[in-house]
Amino acid sequence: MSDTTRTSGDWLRQNLPRLVLSPSFAITLFFVYGFILYTAWISMTRSRMLPKLDSFVGFENYGKLWKTLNWQIALDNLAIFGTLYILICGVLGLLLAILLDQKIRAEGFLRTIYLYPMALSFIVTGTAWKWFLNPGLGLEKSMHEWGFHSFSFDWLINPKMAIYTVVIAGVWQTSGFVMAMFLAGLRGIDNEQLKAAQLDGASAFQTYRRIIIPQLRAVFLSAFVVLAHMAIKSYDLVVALTGGGPGNATEVPATFMYSYTFTRNQMGVGAASAMVMLMTIAAIIVPYLYAETREKRHG
Amino acid sequence: MSSLSIRDVHKAYGPTEVLKGIDIDIDSGDFLVLVGPSGCGKSTLLNMIAGLDSITSGEIRIEDKVVNDTHPSERDIAMVFQSYALYPNMNVEKNISFGLEMRRMPRKQRRERVAEVAQMLQIEPLLKRKPSQLSGGQRQRVAMGRALVREPKIFLFDEPLSNLDAKLRVDMRTEIKKLHQRLGSTIVYVTHDQIEAMTLATKIAIMKGGVLQQLGTPAELYNQPANMFVAGFMGSPSMNLIPAELVASDGEPAVRMVRKDESSMLLPVGDNPAYRDWIGKPVILGLRPETITDVGSAEQDSPLLFQGECLIDVTEPTGADVFAIIELNGREVVGRMRASCGAKVGEKLSVVFNMRHAVLFDPQTEGRIG
Amino acid sequence: MASAVDTGVQSGRFWRVLIYVTLIVFAAFYLLPLFVMLVTSFKSLDEIRQGNMLALPLEWTIAPWISAWGSACVGLTCEGIHGYFGNSIKMVVPSVLISTLLGALNGYVLTKWRFPGHRWIFGLMLFGCFIPFQIVLIPMSQVLGLFGLAGTTAGLVLVHVTYGIGFTTLFFRNYYEAFPNELVRAAMIDGAGFFRIFWRILLPSSGPIIVVTIIWQFTNVWNDFLFGASFAAGQSAPMTVALNNLVSSSTGVKEYNVHMAAAMIAALPTLLVYILAGRYFVRGLMAGSVKG
Repeated sequence: MSDTTRTSGDWLRQNLPRLVLSPSFAITLFFVYGFILYTAWISMTRSRMLPKLDSFVGFENYGKLWKTLNWQIALDNLAIFGTLYILICGVLGLLLAILLDQKIRAEGFLRTIYLYPMALSFIVTGTAWKWFLNPGLGLEKSMHEWGFHSFSFDWLINPKMAIYTVVIAGVWQTSGFVMAMFLAGLRGIDNEQLKAAQLDGASAFQTYRRIIIPQLRAVFLSAFVVLAHMAIKSYDLVVALTGGGPGNATEVPATFMYSYTFTRNQMGVGAASAMVMLMTIAAIIVPYLYAETREKRHG
Repeated sequence: MSSLSIRDVHKAYGPTEVLKGIDIDIDSGDFLVLVGPSGCGKSTLLNMIAGLDSITSGEIRIEDKVVNDTHPSERDIAMVFQSYALYPNMNVEKNISFGLEMRRMPRKQRRERVAEVAQMLQIEPLLKRKPSQLSGGQRQRVAMGRALVREPKIFLFDEPLSNLDAKLRVDMRTEIKKLHQRLGSTIVYVTHDQIEAMTLATKIAIMKGGVLQQLGTPAELYNQPANMFVAGFMGSPSMNLIPAELVASDGEPAVRMVRKDESSMLLPVGDNPAYRDWIGKPVILGLRPETITDVGSAEQDSPLLFQGECLIDVTEPTGADVFAIIELNGREVVGRMRASCGAKVGEKLSVVFNMRHAVLFDPQTEGRIG
Repeated sequence: MASAVDTGVQSGRFWRVLIYVTLIVFAAFYLLPLFVMLVTSFKSLDEIRQGNMLALPLEWTIAPWISAWGSACVGLTCEGIHGYFGNSIKMVVPSVLISTLLGALNGYVLTKWRFPGHRWIFGLMLFGCFIPFQIVLIPMSQVLGLFGLAGTTAGLVLVHVTYGIGFTTLFFRNYYEAFPNELVRAAMIDGAGFFRIFWRILLPSSGPIIVVTIIWQFTNVWNDFLFGASFAAGQSAPMTVALNNLVSSSTGVKEYNVHMAAAMIAALPTLLVYILAGRYFVRGLMAGSVKG
């Protein structure tokens, strides 16, 4: 083989993997990181309906953002929604996983039922629950027809309670997924430990509390990260279920960002709110991804 | 003709050097075994010969052509991997012929070659099966078939038997040896098992910590180990290494041995000129278990046979033999007796030391004296 | 491997019954909305107004489904949702195929052809799929406008491929991580090159992960609302956007039965995939959250 052909062939051979990866990486750099920088810049300009790149105002929009009542409502709502959503999904998921793990007949069938909402779009979920909780024709009416005339359920149109309907629908959609995560964790625990615990005289309850659940720490962490990140990003569900209403009672950061950017012509403020969302998610996701993808020695 | 020549080869991953200047030459038809404990760099060296790992410095030649920058597929080598690395989606026939297909050999010729190899390895009935349908030994054969069919200049084996059970391992070992004798091919074979090394090799390169300890025939390594590491690594049970003082007894160099009852005996080690400088100094005496025997199984024509009463601490019967443990200079020493020698724990036995095969080491450098 | 505490002595009968009752009650909780959706979609509007939401239809009718598909008003046009359903398909198929192929190639490079910095590249790509997409809405709408892709299905395909490759790469990377390196080395010695090793050795063994990835991407892209609402206006909107417009339009009488039929139509493709290949769907969910 002649030397000249080899050098050109070798260059290609050596760099082919990089070449193959480069389009995806370039796309990521441009569409993710480039766009983040661009939005960061917009958040520091006086952009309103359209981006105005030369009107730098520093952190003015962030100050404005924090003085906006709607943003305060959005943050309060996110705190309520996020806390309850994560907590209930976690508790319910763990409970169902433990119950399903008791050598249940038709376990596969039940699991399928618990998990199917995860395959639906949040828009479908929102539509279904909106109808189910409809104050005139939904659950309330059914209860009345069954004789519970004092039953009243108007959360969907009650500004104080509407955010809780979002929690219900969100939990309905995601808790089965959390169940699946915990179930996988439970199945990963070595059976012999459980036998040992039994011989040590631990009751079923003690075995779960002292031996099994402590070993699920990684699943708790994963579930928390996934749920927290979904809570912060949640947009579709709120739009479909309450549309942010009644009034602005169920405003969340994601809906806030959308309306301020595209309908209220406050692009600078909208961009600032998007940056705040990004920072919050990054604070949760980055350490998690770092820990999860860290090179496992040996492999 | 030198078939493979490795010159001052170094390998470094960042600041850690895993190969520190290896020099090995083998001839065409040689069976070179690279042996050593895990982490000694033997697999890295094999991968560098294959072209799967880059060479930090030095030179590797295959039939006098420097291959440092040659792609693995162009080095004219074939490799048998530890996990066999059979392509799971292809049947046996496809697995064997894949390399030929990549080299654009016509289909008809490929078939002939595969058939030939399949016959040689007796895997003809397996040709249409997938790897997942094969037993460990069958996979091993297919992996060898894949290498054989290519008729390369050098075969590389990376611990090929380590995934087999004990019995199959011995069978396959014999098979590989037969194959080598029949084809006269050049083989480089990596293992951590010294018995495999001894039985297969025409040449052994024993490595430790990225350094070549000794290169030689199995007999050379066994009888004249270059240092205490080689002495301890080759042979099972391994060589007894006993600290002792070299003294002059009737003008001849001898080692002083203190037994468990604190009585001492002098064992002459033969008149090697190199020993004279060491008289009066501490040395390490190396004695293989088979040179410490009962009276009946001693090597009768040895000029250096010495007898002494020793207390038996432990006996380990293996069937034909009994390994008896005695204490010399405060060390446990293993001797190999016939099962019928009557050694009993807690009793004394007349033990013969065959000092013809004794070796002495420098306690500081651990190198062999003489 | 079940981890249930398996007492040789059966735990009390009472507890077993309680466990089953609890599990069945929750099954009802998860099924109820779907059930209500389904029965409502087969009722006439009159029956909905007068009857019980939870009752089966007295008179089954498929008129709501026909109306939802062909004549319900979405925005100003009254042609049903079939066009939007088609939009979603036209968007989903290329997005899924392209992002899966790219993910497979990326995963292959990132595990079998590593080069310095590969972990950084992967980390940066992975983070890209967790960002709140609000952060890219403003520049993306401008870029799509610049390329003339604003409001088109092609534009949405670009968006979904862009923000999907992080996950597809993750899936294939984790899968190929466990694929023996020795096979690649053997193929290399056999003389196969970069692409040949991929096509002949890795891809034929990638069936399960391809299914997982396709299902994951299909579900995500089909169910997306934010990008669809932001970048596809009017007639080119995907199914989810059309459904939302249909349901929340404030003009005229609210035809709940038609809304529910439309919601069912929007849900059917992903639901079908879930029922047919649930195992792979769950594996995708897991792989997307619990790595390694």
